[in-house]
Amino acid sequence: MGLLSAQDEATLKQHLSPITLPVQLVLFTQAFGGSESGDVAKEVLNEIASLNDKVTVVEKSFVLDTEDKAKYKVDKAPAIVILSDGIDTRMRMYGAPTGYEFVGLVEAIIVAGTGKIDLDPETMKWIQAVDKPTHIQVFSTPT
Amino acid sequence: MAAANEKITADAIEATEFIELSRKYRVTGVPKTIVNETIEIMGGLPEKMFVRQALDMPDETPA
Repeated sequence: MGLLSAQDEATLKQHLSPITLPVQLVLFTQAFGGSESGDVAKEVLNEIASLNDKVTVVEKSFVLDTEDKAKYKVDKAPAIVILSDGIDTRMRMYGAPTGYEFVGLVEAIIVAGTGKIDLDPETMKWIQAVDKPTHIQVFSTPT
Repeated sequence: MAAANEKITADAIEATEFIELSRKYRVTGVPKTIVNETIEIMGGLPEKMFVRQALDMPDETPA
């Protein structure tokens, strides 16, 4: 029994259908001293991956896989790093991706898997003009 | 935004899971956005307004 109803699965599958590029979801969890949300994150990601062949889940240990942790600059767990055809999209999710976070995750996967960003052309121009390191952190809650 | 420019990194953080971090940035309501430790954006904004604030662009002056 998955987290989603059959109807939600069908809807999600439809949303994921434009994906043409391989998307890797790299999940960092902490087995000991970590929270249960790592297990929830794993379940959510596996369920999404089961709906589209292009989406795969790669599990990493927050404690043991120090090289990957440094490579992706992951400083807390659970963490989800989204890769588009092996390339880091610089989009990260921290915590269990449920509720509103789930919607954000699906949108990020679609961006990674299609290479298409649904923003106004003028907004895109502003974003593309950024030439200094910019770190955006968005805090939200599942409900 | 991160997907559109390699200088940009975007983290979505579940506030109730990372309490210390939420305290550090005084997250009392969500969504709350922090850019480069200095810019704070409360709530959800329309796309253009959000991006201008996040990128510290001056307010648009009416033509």
